[in-house]
Amino acid sequence: MRLGYYARLFAVQARASLTTAMQYRADFLVQGLTSLYWLGWNLVPLLVLYDDRSSVAGWSFGAALVVMAHFVIVRGILEGAINPSLGAVVEQIRSGAFDYTLLRPADAQFLVSTARFAPWRALDVLGGVGLLIYAFVRLGHGPSPAQVGAGLVLLAAGLAVMYGLWIMIVATAFWVVRMDNLIYLLSSVFDAARWPASVFRGVWRVVFTFVIPLALMTTFPARALLGTVTWQAGIGCLVGAILISIAARLVWRLALRSYTSASS
Amino acid sequence: MTIEVAGLSKHFRVHRRPPGLAAAVRSLWHRRYDTVKAVDDISFTIARGERVGFLGPNGAGKTTTMKVLSGLLHPTAGTVRVEGHQPFRREPDFLRRITLVMGQKQQLLWDLPPSETYALNRAVFGVDPAQAAQTLGELTELLGLAGLTDKPTRQLSLGERMKCELAAALLHRPTTLFLDEPTIGLDVAMQVTIRDFIRDYNQRHDATVLLTSHYMDDVVALCPRVIVIDGGRLIHDGDLRALVKTMIPDKLVSFTGGVPADEVARLGEVVKAEGGRTTVRVPEARLREVVSHVLDRAGADLAVEDPPLEDVMRKLFKDKRASAPAPAGEPPP
Amino acid sequence: MMRTLRAMPTLIRVGMVEAIAYRAEMVVWLLTTTMPLVMLGLWTSVADEAPFRAWGTRDFVAYYLVALIVRNLTSNWVAWQISEEIRTGAVSGRLLRPVHPFTGYLGTHLGAVPLRAVAVAPVLVILLWSSARGVLVTDVAHLALVAAAIVGAWLLTFGVFLCLGSLGFFLDKAMGIIEVYFGVFAIMSGYLIPLALLPAWVRDIAAVLPFRSMLGDPVAIAIGRVPDAGDAARLVALQWGWAIALLALASWLWRTGVRRYEAFGG
Repeated sequence: MRLGYYARLFAVQARASLTTAMQYRADFLVQGLTSLYWLGWNLVPLLVLYDDRSSVAGWSFGAALVVMAHFVIVRGILEGAINPSLGAVVEQIRSGAFDYTLLRPADAQFLVSTARFAPWRALDVLGGVGLLIYAFVRLGHGPSPAQVGAGLVLLAAGLAVMYGLWIMIVATAFWVVRMDNLIYLLSSVFDAARWPASVFRGVWRVVFTFVIPLALMTTFPARALLGTVTWQAGIGCLVGAILISIAARLVWRLALRSYTSASS
Repeated sequence: MTIEVAGLSKHFRVHRRPPGLAAAVRSLWHRRYDTVKAVDDISFTIARGERVGFLGPNGAGKTTTMKVLSGLLHPTAGTVRVEGHQPFRREPDFLRRITLVMGQKQQLLWDLPPSETYALNRAVFGVDPAQAAQTLGELTELLGLAGLTDKPTRQLSLGERMKCELAAALLHRPTTLFLDEPTIGLDVAMQVTIRDFIRDYNQRHDATVLLTSHYMDDVVALCPRVIVIDGGRLIHDGDLRALVKTMIPDKLVSFTGGVPADEVARLGEVVKAEGGRTTVRVPEARLREVVSHVLDRAGADLAVEDPPLEDVMRKLFKDKRASAPAPAGEPPP
Repeated sequence: MMRTLRAMPTLIRVGMVEAIAYRAEMVVWLLTTTMPLVMLGLWTSVADEAPFRAWGTRDFVAYYLVALIVRNLTSNWVAWQISEEIRTGAVSGRLLRPVHPFTGYLGTHLGAVPLRAVAVAPVLVILLWSSARGVLVTDVAHLALVAAAIVGAWLLTFGVFLCLGSLGFFLDKAMGIIEVYFGVFAIMSGYLIPLALLPAWVRDIAAVLPFRSMLGDPVAIAIGRVPDAGDAARLVALQWGWAIALLALASWLWRTGVRRYEAFGG
């Protein structure tokens, strides 16, 4: 019964976002153009790099392109399904309208996460898929069904990690209310995920794989599609995703307790 | 009892921000905190269907109390029960029975018509579609919402928005209403509409109403009982008319012309003398005598009124302040 | 004019207090400049395998760390601030004050520089401690030019952002323009990849744009890629020329924008 309740709630929230988006139809066109702009921009370092050599840390141009494509897709989902809600929530906390969220008999984290979507970002995701197809054309072969399945599972794990990190960032907005630039934090930290994680050596590798588990989000799903991911790495990814989701929930509850001064 | 409050206290830790650059640099690693007693040991009970007004100066603790009653804040001490629940537990059953309307903050989605917010609330509160349609019909008729709910919220005037806000807050037929300054910024006609609506809803659904307002007219028109809070402490709880009589046992007598100037002073303290119309404050005991005198002198348009509530409040706070220690204030919202 | 100059010290001091009060925000802003670090991680791996077009690991470390320092010292959020104030109408309050709004913005963002300097000090320490320090310039002439270049870069960046912010008077989606601008800036200034490593046709375009002067040139001077002091001085002169031009453009854009704003009723 609860699942049906939340499914209905999600449908209502999504419809509200879509209706708002439809009011600004011109944005879809503009978004299409900027998607292409950033797609091209993302390719610049790749082109410069592979102009001089054919392999970097064991990754060919096509393989690196697969990682880049995942980056574009995940980024599209970040900007389309995750960040808009962040902006809405921070604004709510500042204006005090967040109190109304707490007065509703639904889970506050759910309401906060579904507050707003930017549906035109779907064009970003489409662009990323297009890039993915091109990458496999360059590589001369496509992924097997098993690889596609593994890729989707690990992509979902990566998105769970992204979402968990995002919730933790939103939670900080309760303590330090003026955080308009929070939206940029996750995006810029995510910047490193456009490169295969193994490209980074030494201290960078540790930072990007463990401290900020970005490798989870793009490199591992890419490896799955390319057939180079090990069982251990895959399980590790899933475990990491579950742990971060639990941690995120705990941080959120702590933040709410602080907001309602439950501890004082 | 629908609402039971015993020994409620709410303290906040606020960090001090002294001015100046040196202090700002020091605050980077060392912060000084003050404890603000927003609510200090108050107790009261409210029965089902009552309409109670919360009065008090700014920062007295009214909004904090409302937030505790609706579950938005945890009390520091004391017990609170509303509709048989502990508010801060925020149980779904509790949340479905209450509603909080904050006049200064809105829940309506800004870019979309109010009907979208109603759809959201319908889904959130799990209201049966048929029931929702009936409630909405009732609210549309009582508040005059026809034609408003399909325009984007940002295109509505302040008064229209407030009416739609009220509808959104009542869609789930709550039985306890917390109204925090619902008429703020509205013109007089709209205030009357909303007051009438609240009274109607209260009578129709036997709903308990707790109202705070800076407009004394709201309280006078709606609330037979008032709870007065100042500096976080409860300084009066009871019948409004009785309070007025106790605080200022005077009446205001107004008349036009008739009485010669030198006699007016003997009638009582002159409160206003404008354009031929004089108003004097008369102790209740002397009322009969003064009224007869004015009528004898053929004073026209005689009117006898209670002193304005503002005067009563002012006197009440002055008295309490004289006898009580320095009041604490509410932290900024 | 005199009133403005008299007001400056107070405005800067207030700016500093503001910066400290919003230190959490500042940390977030600083953390968003991750691009040089990501690139550094990438290029050092690449250069470890083999030098990339004669750029070795040391060269990349020096380039990106200096770029990080310069970026953090010279960057500010005034474009975002102005577009927000226009959107919410708060800019009207500024227009009512007896000093030009630009002085207010100047105070706020200049006041943040000391705190930013403190924040990038660790990066400077790391740079000086690493092997890359051998690449940095040490003679007085170059150091003086580096200092002048950083000041010039600050003024130029301020001017550019004032222009971008003022676009908020004319366009609804000024924020979108700012994002697109960043893409162009990142390439044409050498922020993303050193200009020396980009194709010649890109360098040709960058030569006629101000972005190189905002970051690429100051960094190049600091890491010894402009050995002739005369050449370096010419680059600094070009930079200050751009700064003056863009501040003038910003002033004109603002004036025109305000007139439009007042005509349509803010």
